[in-house]
Amino acid sequence: MSTPNSPIGPAAATPMSTAATAPEVLFDDVSKFYGEVLGVNRVTLRIPPGITSLVGPNGSGKTTLMNLMAGLIHPDRGVITMRGLSPRHPERLMRILGYATQYDSAPRGSTGLDFVTTGLILTGFSSAEASTRAQAALHRVRMAEASRRKVASYSKGMRQRIRLAQAIAHDPDILVLDEPLNGLDPLVRAETIALFREYAALGRHVILSSHVLQEVDIISDQVILIANGMIIAEGQIRSVREEIHQHPSQFVIRCRDASRIASLLFEHDHITQIKMQDDRLGLLVMTRNRADFSRALTRISLAGHTVESIVPADENMGALYEYLIGGDR
Amino acid sequence: MTNAARLRQVWTIARLQLTRVFFSKRSFWVYLLAFFPAVIFFAHGVEVKFKRDRYTSRVTPSSVLDAIRAGDSEGDVLRQAPGPVSDERYRPRRRRRGPDAEQQRTPDRRFLAYWDGSKRWELNFEDGILQTKRARPLNDFEEDRQVYAGVFQYFYLRLAIFFGCLGIFMNLFRGEMLDKTLHFWFLIPARREVLLAGKYLAGLIAAVVIFGSGAALSFALMLWPQDPTALQTFWATDGLSHVFWYSAAAALACVGYGSVFLASGLLLRNPIIPAVTILFWESINGILPAMLQKLSVLYYVEALCPVPPPMDSNAPLLIRLLAAPAEPPTAAFAVLGLLALTALVLFVASRAVRNIEVNYGVE
Ligand SMILES: Nc1ncnc2c1ncn2[C@@H]1O[C@H](COP(=O)(O)OP(=O)(O)O)[C@@H](O)[C@H]1O
Ligand SMILES: [Mg+2]
Repeated sequence: MSTPNSPIGPAAATPMSTAATAPEVLFDDVSKFYGEVLGVNRVTLRIPPGITSLVGPNGSGKTTLMNLMAGLIHPDRGVITMRGLSPRHPERLMRILGYATQYDSAPRGSTGLDFVTTGLILTGFSSAEASTRAQAALHRVRMAEASRRKVASYSKGMRQRIRLAQAIAHDPDILVLDEPLNGLDPLVRAETIALFREYAALGRHVILSSHVLQEVDIISDQVILIANGMIIAEGQIRSVREEIHQHPSQFVIRCRDASRIASLLFEHDHITQIKMQDDRLGLLVMTRNRADFSRALTRISLAGHTVESIVPADENMGALYEYLIGGDR
Repeated sequence: MTNAARLRQVWTIARLQLTRVFFSKRSFWVYLLAFFPAVIFFAHGVEVKFKRDRYTSRVTPSSVLDAIRAGDSEGDVLRQAPGPVSDERYRPRRRRRGPDAEQQRTPDRRFLAYWDGSKRWELNFEDGILQTKRARPLNDFEEDRQVYAGVFQYFYLRLAIFFGCLGIFMNLFRGEMLDKTLHFWFLIPARREVLLAGKYLAGLIAAVVIFGSGAALSFALMLWPQDPTALQTFWATDGLSHVFWYSAAAALACVGYGSVFLASGLLLRNPIIPAVTILFWESINGILPAMLQKLSVLYYVEALCPVPPPMDSNAPLLIRLLAAPAEPPTAAFAVLGLLALTALVLFVASRAVRNIEVNYGVE
């Protein structure tokens, strides 16, 4: 367990001044294990204000990262700083952080209004102010009408919105939202996105997660791709997209005249590396462009060279990138 | 944030938590435990009242009963006092005829009871001759108070408050983990220690109210059928101090067990393990070395009980030791000792609460 205080001791002690100069969300070499199971591994991130999307398939570690940000779980190693505050200090952090979790639960028997108001009362608002703010937040997510009904009777999308209302009700600087667009119909989705933009325009952090890149790519200022608990790409959407496209794929080619084929392949720009296998009957080829690579191989075999088999050497990674990019290549 | 503001936070948390503690379906059985003895004392009270009502129609003057002596015959007695309130006869059956049948024969017995308006007279005949005669109040206040002392120590302290606090306090965090609602509490701008204090306070209020009223109601129902003059004497002498010490013992038991189960709910996932361990520890407390005895809730709270519970002096030494420590502490020491023990346990809990994580299992 790491020490409760971040190593940037003075930062934690004087949050306001630090927040003014460096309002960033920082992960420094953070790892989290659930017993034997890897949650996230050696994550280092620097997230500036704006809309940031965490994208990765189910089980990739998105929720783990968000729970770490909110201090619901603690890292096994590494340090997290949220706009200068440690997640170990909820008393301070929760004033500037709103978190809509993916947990689909609400205290039994409470109405939407109770639910949001209670959160505000616990935050320290007087009951009058809590009720005003709760109503404003519910209005903002278009839940004003349903707010007097029991949360238990809400649809999935309504619960999603009630959690969003609770997260924004105290006007936080950091909004962390776990799959917030899941289950929303197009109209509400557009409104919700407008709300994210509004928050981001004020210099705040909006950190959301999704398992589909297309869902968030146009709205995000930056994207963080995560898979198997590791960050595989981060930055602005354009560069991330390029990074994905340029990610080298590896193939093993089995063939008779391996050295001849190797020299033919080397003429292509997209080939970054070729290794001869020990039996001199196979090549390990690394390419930056799968399509060009397959065209080149077709030409080589048409020219009379026998290629016995082509096997992707890193099928899992290939499939993952394919998945992340989605259909819009 | 100032400490005053933190205290307000503790209270806000406790207030919001209270509804949950009082109306949790998961701890409904706590009410059954707390009010079970009241039902029994009520039944006993009704029986006494009912008897008294029945007897008033058959009063035999005490002068008549005084005149009856041992050695009088059944017939004589019934002639002088013809209105017994009860009459029971036991005729042993003779199973075997044989040479020694006469020697083994048990006598015919008859019990007559009379009511003189305040006492019940019990007359015991053998083979038609009065053997013994004694007068007793219909209801023995002394005895009833001892019964209450037993119920209080063996039922309330060792069983009901123990398991009740287990249910209430272990659920404060564990229950929210099961319901997947713990993260709401962790997402409020409060120190974890403040959250712990708020939840503990809520549990404590609930436990003291539930078990306090259960024990108080039982006490009231124990007093209910007693003779009014005896009651007057009781209130003029020991009454208030008994009520005070019983209340103190019940409240402090909640304070102590509450902290213990709050801490074990934070440190362990399975409630059975701490329950069994602590129950075992508390029950062998009487035979532990003096130093270890002090690490027990029962050791302190039993010392506060104003009336020793009934204990057969023929009971084996081990049982007697298990039931009561050899050297009970003084009241002041018991109160301070219990509070110190609680503070220690709560300190451990406050360390643990900082490190707990929301873990609802894999989604
Ligand atoms: N409470 C938990 N106990 C054990 N393993 C967990 C727990 N929560 C998450 N995991 C595991 O950690 C990994 C990351 O999970 P998570 O962060 O929930 O992913 P995501 O939100 O991207 O779907 C997964 O392999 C998941 O099975
Ligand atoms: Mg998730």
